[in-house]
Amino acid sequence: MRWMRVVLVGAVLLAAWPQTSAAQNKPTPAPAPADDPDKDPNASQPDFTLIGLPTTLRVPRFSSAFRVTHRFLRPLGAGDFGDLTSDFFGLDSGAQIGLEYRFGLMRGLQVGIHRTSNKTIEFFGQYSLLQQKDHGFGLDVMASIDGTNNFRDSYTPALGVIVSRELGSHGAVYLEPIWVNNSNPLPSEVVDDNDTFVIGVGARLRIRPTVYVVGEILPRVGYDPGVNHASFGIEKRAGGHVFQLNFSNGFGTTMGQLARGGTNNDDWYMGFNISRKFFR
Amino acid sequence: MRRVTRVLVVLAATLMIGCDEKLSDLTGPTPDLTPTFSSIQHNIFEAPDSAGRAACTQCHNAVGRLFNGLDLSSAVAYTNLVNVASREKPGVLRVAPGDPDNSYLVHKVEGRPGIVGLRMPFSGPPFLTDGQILVIKRWIELGAKND
Repeated sequence: MRWMRVVLVGAVLLAAWPQTSAAQNKPTPAPAPADDPDKDPNASQPDFTLIGLPTTLRVPRFSSAFRVTHRFLRPLGAGDFGDLTSDFFGLDSGAQIGLEYRFGLMRGLQVGIHRTSNKTIEFFGQYSLLQQKDHGFGLDVMASIDGTNNFRDSYTPALGVIVSRELGSHGAVYLEPIWVNNSNPLPSEVVDDNDTFVIGVGARLRIRPTVYVVGEILPRVGYDPGVNHASFGIEKRAGGHVFQLNFSNGFGTTMGQLARGGTNNDDWYMGFNISRKFFR
Repeated sequence: MRRVTRVLVVLAATLMIGCDEKLSDLTGPTPDLTPTFSSIQHNIFEAPDSAGRAACTQCHNAVGRLFNGLDLSSAVAYTNLVNVASREKPGVLRVAPGDPDNSYLVHKVEGRPGIVGLRMPFSGPPFLTDGQILVIKRWIELGAKND
């Protein structure tokens, strides 16, 4: 057993040595950069998304955020109220779950990845072109591409702009024209429409100092199966977290999924989003 | 501004890699099949496929017994199909241009309830794949042209 102790001590020393050495060689720390206004809490835009649609909140440079999306698969209208309560409002059912990570690559530019449990992976990027403090409204350009079967099969790129207007500290409204290419999973030779043009409309209203109601709807033209995606919810901001309970007519969270719409307007599904900012 | 341009170029490049699905992935055992009459004639009516499906003209030909008067040989197939009433189920067109759901050809290859006789091909399975049927339906949807 002695040899193990020697190895352990050796490993600890080895691990510690470069840090010590680096610390000794480290030059005098540079003065702290000017405070990044992107790190300031924004009462009217507390999160990077409404429910599925993006907002114009900027990720500070070299900072990041994480989000979990969760959509229960049980329609709330199935069965009577007794059935609904016995299924605990859908919480006993399966769910489509998404995990998302976004990173501020440079000031105003964020990139991220979102994977949903039906094996769709979405890569996205967003650049802040105009800010409300200078122009009276916010304008971002966004691009994304999602691919099914772990980004091996059907690819759906999207390109659009996000226009936001903050209402003081009472919330914000959004208009998001987005072109979603190849939203139809069939080859273009056998379909009338292969793309979808959506105009996302959404709002977040602050009803208490840290409580908001949110809603979004995506009218669309082109390939438009099912019904237009619609969703509403209520959320609570708690420091760097935002906890959101939402109700949607579908399970979509990537741009391709949102463009393909909801199932129908008689079936609504409960879900939640939890996001966490990894900065102040 | 140069930075913004660079970002926009990256965004555009992102779109460019979004590619349409290949039709051959859908049509499986007949990778050259397209929604045109000549292609359907060549790949479906007149030829077996790699999945083992028999050619329609194995039975529906001018030489042997004419199955319900439907000869699918290349010289006459189009005129025997499009806007021609089914002999098996009078009142329904074999191919109703623009209306695949009311085309008896589609009913027969899909094996829908209500058909008279058996699902085609007679020797199936294997039958036509969903992708192959979708291409036939698309040809009808586009007007069932003699293209």
